[in-house]
Amino acid sequence: MNLDELIPAEKICTQYQVEHTFIHSLHESGLIEIVTVEETQYVHCDHLRNFEKMMRLHRDLHINIEGLEAVQQLLDQVQQLQQQNQKLRNRLNLYE
Amino acid sequence: MEFIDYYKLLELDKSASQADIKKAYRKLARKYHPDLHPNDKEAQARFQQINEANEVLSDPEKRKKYDEYGKDWKHAEQFEEARKQQSAAGGSGFGGFGGGQGYTYSGNFEDDTFSDFFEQMFGGGARTRGAGRRPQFKGQDFNAELQLNLSDIYTSQKQTLTINGKNIRLTIPAGVENGQTIKIKGHGAPGIQGGPKGDLFLTFNIVNDTKFKREKENLYSTEEIDLYTALLGGEVTVDTFSGKAKLKVKPETQPGTKVKLKGKGFPKYKKEGQYGDLYITYKVKMPTRLSEKEKELFRQLQKLRS
Repeated sequence: MNLDELIPAEKICTQYQVEHTFIHSLHESGLIEIVTVEETQYVHCDHLRNFEKMMRLHRDLHINIEGLEAVQQLLDQVQQLQQQNQKLRNRLNLYE
Repeated sequence: MEFIDYYKLLELDKSASQADIKKAYRKLARKYHPDLHPNDKEAQARFQQINEANEVLSDPEKRKKYDEYGKDWKHAEQFEEARKQQSAAGGSGFGGFGGGQGYTYSGNFEDDTFSDFFEQMFGGGARTRGAGRRPQFKGQDFNAELQLNLSDIYTSQKQTLTINGKNIRLTIPAGVENGQTIKIKGHGAPGIQGGPKGDLFLTFNIVNDTKFKREKENLYSTEEIDLYTALLGGEVTVDTFSGKAKLKVKPETQPGTKVKLKGKGFPKYKKEGQYGDLYITYKVKMPTRLSEKEKELFRQLQKLRS
């Protein structure tokens, strides 16, 4: 794994002013992935977008970890349905 | 520039208390939070509006000014002058506009601006949201839409896009789908304090400028053949995406018969050199304006069949 693409969890805590337990809880719930390299915990930069989203929902709407899990699941479902809808719309063009 | 009814936006009446405003704002923020409505510009716009409404109504100073001059916002300057005079005379006056309730949501805005109405009435520095915003690290993601013709994406092509004033050169792979979004890593806004750059999310809007219908990598078209070719068989020249092709028509071909031209469809996305199929449906064209002789011959044929 490319270390340049990993951000130390500690740096994230400082930057976003969040407790390490929050990151850990997100990881426990499978909402973000934590990578440990030589006893240092990192978050891959690809997961930062999702982390930011979870943090905003947690802070803005006071959603707890269980709620975030449910939100993420529903958002995934919405995304799948949107993709399916787009596919069906593209297919519908065949009959128009 | 139009007057914005902030009370209406928060579904409140003018007598609403601070608690009512907070409650209404929280309720609407939960409903329209951009993270719960990805790629929904309408929800994002609505969220920004309710944020702005909260910014004004949750701040007693701003609310007073708005209530007094809202519909007649052009006279707000006079209000300001009066305020300054009152302040200079040692009256209680109004404080600056920086001390609002501060309960605003960060959201994930693409366009971090309030309406012209707000800027005009309260000035650009009046918002309190900035102070309460969350620290940022990763650069902002950009979303863009690119309209292309179906004929353009038959081959991979290089395009230069201008996103937020920067030119981005990219290769669009042949066979992208209508409505497909691709992520171009690191082409969003720069990160903050060493954070990674944001990404560019590019959604394709494919306009069909051809006679072919497309479903993923397969193409569909209709070709007319005359009655005699359909009955007796023959050869027809048909259009494919890459040019003309000659086809043998079997005798007694029925209207609506479908033939498959393998590998004559659309390129498969990110599978270089692989193509889908082209399905041609035959439409049999009946002869019109028959001569007497033709009619007679058809009658003879009819008798033979009955």
